Amino acid sequence: MRSLFASTLTVAVAAAGFAQPASADTVLNVVTAGDVNMVDYVKDYLGPMFEKTHPGVKVVSVGTGPGDAGSQTIYEKLSAQKAAGSTSWDFDVLVIHQKMAGKMVQEGFLEKYRDTVATAKMFTRDSARNSLGTNVEGFVLPMFHSQTAIAYNPDLVKDVPNSYSELADWVKKHPKQFGWNGIKGGMSGVAFAVGWVTAFGGKAEQLVAGPYDKGVETAWDGPLASLKDFNKNVVITPGNAGTLDQLNRGEIAMGPVWVDMFYSWMADGKLPPNLKVKLIDPGMPGQPMYYAVPVGSPQKQLAEQFIALATSPDVQAKGIVERFNWYPGIDADNLKGKVVDAAWAKLFGDIPPATLAKNGQSFPITPYFNDILEAYERKVAN
Amino acid sequence: MRAAVVQVATGAARIGVIAVMAFAVFGPLANLALWAFAERWYTPHALPISWSLRWWEIVFRPTGDAMASLLTSVWIALLTVIVALLLSIPAGYALARLKLPFRTLIMVLFLLPQAFPSVSIYINVARVFYALGLAGTIPAVVLVHATHGLVYSVWIATAAFAAVDRDTELAARDLGASHFHAFLTITLPQAAPGITASAIFVFLESLDEFTGTFFVGVPQVTTLPLLLYNAGMGGNYQIASITALILLVPSIAFMLLVERFLGADVLSRIGR
Amino acid sequence: MSRSSALALLFVAPALALVAVFFFHPLALSVISAFMAEGHGPTFANFARAAELYSGDIIHTIFVVTSATLLTLVVAIAISGALTLSASPGFVAALKFVYRWPLFVPFIVAAQCMRTFLARNGLMNNAFVALGVFDPMTTSSYLDWRGMVITFAWKQVPFVTLLIAGAMASLDRATIEAGRDLGASRLRVLVELVIPQVMPTLLVAATLSFVLMLSVLSVPMMVAGSQPTLITVDMAFRINAYGDYGTANALGVISYLIASGAAIFYLRHTLKDDGR
Repeated sequence: MRSLFASTLTVAVAAAGFAQPASADTVLNVVTAGDVNMVDYVKDYLGPMFEKTHPGVKVVSVGTGPGDAGSQTIYEKLSAQKAAGSTSWDFDVLVIHQKMAGKMVQEGFLEKYRDTVATAKMFTRDSARNSLGTNVEGFVLPMFHSQTAIAYNPDLVKDVPNSYSELADWVKKHPKQFGWNGIKGGMSGVAFAVGWVTAFGGKAEQLVAGPYDKGVETAWDGPLASLKDFNKNVVITPGNAGTLDQLNRGEIAMGPVWVDMFYSWMADGKLPPNLKVKLIDPGMPGQPMYYAVPVGSPQKQLAEQFIALATSPDVQAKGIVERFNWYPGIDADNLKGKVVDAAWAKLFGDIPPATLAKNGQSFPITPYFNDILEAYERKVAN
Repeated sequence: MRAAVVQVATGAARIGVIAVMAFAVFGPLANLALWAFAERWYTPHALPISWSLRWWEIVFRPTGDAMASLLTSVWIALLTVIVALLLSIPAGYALARLKLPFRTLIMVLFLLPQAFPSVSIYINVARVFYALGLAGTIPAVVLVHATHGLVYSVWIATAAFAAVDRDTELAARDLGASHFHAFLTITLPQAAPGITASAIFVFLESLDEFTGTFFVGVPQVTTLPLLLYNAGMGGNYQIASITALILLVPSIAFMLLVERFLGADVLSRIGR
Repeated sequence: MSRSSALALLFVAPALALVAVFFFHPLALSVISAFMAEGHGPTFANFARAAELYSGDIIHTIFVVTSATLLTLVVAIAISGALTLSASPGFVAALKFVYRWPLFVPFIVAAQCMRTFLARNGLMNNAFVALGVFDPMTTSSYLDWRGMVITFAWKQVPFVTLLIAGAMASLDRATIEAGRDLGASRLRVLVELVIPQVMPTLLVAATLSFVLMLSVLSVPMMVAGSQPTLITVDMAFRINAYGDYGTANALGVISYLIASGAAIFYLRHTLKDDGR
């Protein structure tokens, strides 16, 4: 027994020695608030590409899990470091969500780097400057855009709803065939609820652009009451993945999903290939993932060069669009001629560009956003 | 004749009980095994449509670091065991044998780290480590894991020492052995199996931990459960299943072994 | 304080110090933040908000965790009873082999297994349909409180059984044999003779399981929909959606109070054995 223990220990010591990266390298730490596929995108695709042009640099990619929870975790780690007075922080490049980008800019966590990156002029969408009402111009650049939509199984859904009100009628006629994840299980559910409140409560412009007025909340009483009613005939699923999961097993025929997750699941053999997505009227929210550089990054220059590479038209075309079927972060006209037709057709097959432009909303500015969530908790969930 | 019928009936009932148990225990695990090898699996198919090793290749691809993370995980778990044992052997001996004021309260204090939902604790734990300049190091992760695992090592070590026969120890002391010598030659060897069992619990607790590892270890230290956590939360079933299966290998091996080290005399004293 | 108890404290001190630095210190910071309004000093507002928004979930948490603990105990007692009292060595060996597998399976893996196993068209229902036990049209999903209770129990039963069966095995066989000789059924022997004697172990196992389940995030997150859900999910949501540590920590304190309820239960029943 004792010798067994000793030999195990020796093996482990040797192994741990191997496990450390070669210390001669300069390390660029990239942290992604995303699923494994986003972490692997940096690990397998961007990282090696960057290392090729930057000898002696090693890109380390870690993930904190999908959704705002992932971004929050990054924030907590950095704020713990900041509170402890460290000057050299753990991360050089962050991939974070909108809400967190606004918060980090306000609290002075982020470096203004946009001017140093050549690709910056290829971003003209509002979301490159404004994150849920916070001016983030200069601090972030979108990695890709993502959009929520309703996924459905055409074999089971013949009369596909075109709008939120048609969906409400459809659910009444087909109880327990629609599934969504409420607001605590991930952003696809949050997007669905926000879309509902906007569709039936109005003031879409004001929610997205401000100004903030606490009184607007009263307009949501009706929509939230009808959403509570709506919930009686639906299945509440466990999380973003839970909705896709129940589509996988045919337990529900329809549900709100992130379009990028939907295509990833299909590519991974986890969704029937005949499923489709539809962006219903008057629209559902989407959001970008941002590249940002923390002020405590020990490798700011490398970080900026990394982001420049990641937002270059070639990488956006091959990596973002062709590899993942994500909407590009830079303006789409920069990708002309760089993306194979099949990928383009797939990306805009179910949701044509015109529909995306018309129905692809932003999330409301943070104070409205929080009010909607808390009103939902108060009036629908508890 | 009637006795024979009763015997057959009891036999059938026993087989029935075992069958139900086996289904309940292995069914969910089978699910994991299926997903690990499923290439395509969706409605209306009750079983995977096609099988492949594609996801195993992805997990173990050269640019991935699953293997390195696994080794780091094992290394951290071994160090955690050493730290936990160094602390819990004296503590367990005192709790079992010596006159200790507030004994039960102290027992509860070791239980509490298991009890608080960790989400909001770890940010403060991370702050402690950044202040100490230890964040992102293996010792930091080991200390966090050891704190969490102490309930098992202390409680089981206490039970193990309590189960050791006092008379032999006293006899040795009568023969002139010192306190410490009696402890080393008589008490510790007799408690060793129980302490080994506590090491197993601590090892596995550490091997599967991810929240604490993230806060005090990442990005310099990454372990396999982090991959499992990300894949599990993201619904990446194949990767989650494969990492879970890898982590289950030591769990199952130790599960089969643990009772060798945990006799009834120790088990009946745990937590008391 | 006598010299020997000073020595005893010295032995326990290093372990306690570790827990103090890396658990009680951060815990204290969390608890303080539960009583603080952002930049405004002490307040009970966080608790008021927790009560207003999450009272349903708090009750649901107590219900789910208590049910899971009870289910765990019942199944574990049944298995350990069978292991202790069965006359068939083959049956005991088979049972012993089967029951232990989930012993060291982490909660997140258990949740990963169960979310596809217990679903309406999951492996369990599919197996029942294939066996002709269920009609495909009447199957239902268990991905709600039942799923959580089943997952918790699935994971905890082996550990609790290990403890209880160990305690039963160390009992004096003579009383059990005597009871059997007097013609008592096995069930009666179990309930009237065996269980009272292993009660302390039963309480330890129950406390440990209850407290553990209370702090798990992955199971409610992955196995059940979010309305209603468990406190851990609400805590995570409070932080992730609003960056609101105050209310999250207030929920943590409430969760801790529930856990201390269990700990007091444990203390009360072990205190009389104290001072060994």
